[in-house]
Amino acid sequence: MEKKDIIQSFKDSLFTGLIALALFGPIVGLRTASKGEGLFITPQWGIVFLLVGLCILGRFLINLNSARKTEITFFSKFTSKFSAITEDKAKHFAITAILFSAVFPFLPFTDRYFMDVAIMILTYIMLGWGLNIVVGLAGLLDLGYVAFYAVGAYSYALIATTFGWSFWICLPLAGVFAAFFGILLGFPVLRLRGDYLAIVTLGFGEIIRIILINWYEVTNGPDGITGIPRPSFFGLPFKRSPDEGETSFHLFFNLEYSTMHRIIFLYYLILVLALITNYFTLKIRKLPVGRAWEALREDEIACKSLGVNPTNTKLTAFAIGAMFGGFAGSFFATRQAFISPESFTFIESAIIVAIVVLGGMGSQTGVVLASIFLIGITEMFRDLEQYRMIAFGGAMVLIMVFKPKGILANRKPTILMHGDKK
Amino acid sequence: MSNLLSVENLTMKFGGLTAIDDLSFDAKNNQITSIIGPNGAGKTTVFNCLTGFYKPTNGQMFLHKEDSKISLRKYTDFKIAYVAKVARTFQNIRLFPAMSVLENLLVAQHNELMVASGYSLFGLLNLKTYRDKEQLAVDKAKYWLDIIGLTHRADDNAGDLPYGDQRKLEIVRAMCIEPRLLCLDEPAAGLNPKESAELNKLLKFIKTEKQTGILLIEHDMSVVMGISDHVVVLNYGKKIFEGTADQTKNSKEVIEAYLGVDE
Repeated sequence: MEKKDIIQSFKDSLFTGLIALALFGPIVGLRTASKGEGLFITPQWGIVFLLVGLCILGRFLINLNSARKTEITFFSKFTSKFSAITEDKAKHFAITAILFSAVFPFLPFTDRYFMDVAIMILTYIMLGWGLNIVVGLAGLLDLGYVAFYAVGAYSYALIATTFGWSFWICLPLAGVFAAFFGILLGFPVLRLRGDYLAIVTLGFGEIIRIILINWYEVTNGPDGITGIPRPSFFGLPFKRSPDEGETSFHLFFNLEYSTMHRIIFLYYLILVLALITNYFTLKIRKLPVGRAWEALREDEIACKSLGVNPTNTKLTAFAIGAMFGGFAGSFFATRQAFISPESFTFIESAIIVAIVVLGGMGSQTGVVLASIFLIGITEMFRDLEQYRMIAFGGAMVLIMVFKPKGILANRKPTILMHGDKK
Repeated sequence: MSNLLSVENLTMKFGGLTAIDDLSFDAKNNQITSIIGPNGAGKTTVFNCLTGFYKPTNGQMFLHKEDSKISLRKYTDFKIAYVAKVARTFQNIRLFPAMSVLENLLVAQHNELMVASGYSLFGLLNLKTYRDKEQLAVDKAKYWLDIIGLTHRADDNAGDLPYGDQRKLEIVRAMCIEPRLLCLDEPAAGLNPKESAELNKLLKFIKTEKQTGILLIEHDMSVVMGISDHVVVLNYGKKIFEGTADQTKNSKEVIEAYLGVDE
């Protein structure tokens, strides 16, 4: 490496420092604190200089790295090796993951907190897989997916609290309602593509949330719905002291009562629901309708010229995607036993879309990895309170920088003429 | 030879611009009918009217079927291909680039497969009836890939093929819907002479073996003169000449339209 290069990269990193100073100066450096009366500005120059210094150093190291004859590409090597493994041994990878998740509740280190996080991650995986049908396969960017999640949750809650029907009857009904709303959204947006579609679906998500807040007679407005029945283990409730004439789960199986029973049951419930979603998506992708979705994503005009009906194709994608959102929603309602419009804000939609896009559009394994990465990291830094969103943003930036097409971007054909060559 | 397509007094106006002006011509079964003309003559607009992408301002287009005839005006977008069996290719290739070559050909058989899969129900249950139908669809795709010599690349992404192969793939993809009329929009654009010759062979094969009428827009005169049975020449949306390839070559009007008139 020549001396000139070093000086050049040093100058470049000083310039980076200047930009960092301009950004961090006002944002981090000036802090408003209330002392008695009014707000006062307390400067925090120490942190600013630390951050600026880190930026200069980081930039300098990156420059040095790219000036070398052979770059040190640790991270991208690692990620591409990882994607190669998950693609070559997709079957082994999937089986290992399923086995691991099956025994997860009984591992020695698994406690209540781990179970809660695992249930949350699985919910997002299921939502991601549901949205993957709409965004990944059919290529319809839906920024209002949370609306179907909300429809599912509210239909479950309303049916269960009004009629007192069991979870296993309400679940498919919630799915049907959500699918119906999917078609309802689908019709007006049939002619829209890309950005325009995104804006309308974003609006749809907000409309549903605002209806939930304002339709007080039915949805109980911002107070939400309480006392949603918990699911039972094939008729056996998870209660310490069951009602007259009822047997509860721990009595039936002669176990010590523990709240963990219910948590473990919920865990398996969402695991099975998510796996059904996955199985269904993998199956339907190989059917004519799945291929038509992907063809529609690739080129709508060519689809029309081949006699593929774009209306039906889009509507089925919206309906099926929404249905799985509805299933996830009813699971959410039964797990929380309380729902309110606050759980269905735009940020939820954004997280689900981020999971699908960063996982690699249309990749089922990618959704799993992105969910674990994004939700897991955010949870890991929960102690940092509001700064944990930095971890979320950082995780997104890392994926975008090193894997701009998503963690697993390779698509496998749905049918092979010559069979697998390996 | 019986008529396959008759276009009668077709007019297409975009605001004040008349792209096609009172155009009438016929295309016959088992023949290649070429539409030629300078840039902006309205050739692609004729195709867009025929294949339902535009609704013509005026005029009629009929597709003859044994004794009856159906009006193409009645059908819009996807129904032209689905019901009337008119297939087309595009001036700028429109394949599904991220899908494999085989998948491209299967999407073209979407409607039959959709019925065979019981609108996905039988397919989800993995019934044998569906699997057999799917195998038939794959066999049909293989038949066409053998003809254009791309069978060995069936599992590669369509977007990874060389340009000439993409052109050929788009044509056989249109053939997979078993059209009665095949409309090709500049299939030889960007091809080298060897590829053009191969294209001629493919089109002749389709014409003779598949009993499909072909409507062809083309600038490459080696293709047009080599294979056309009938040539329609357009200029400024009007038909200025109609006849066989040889007649067209020697026509005064056509030469004037292409090369201009001596002062």
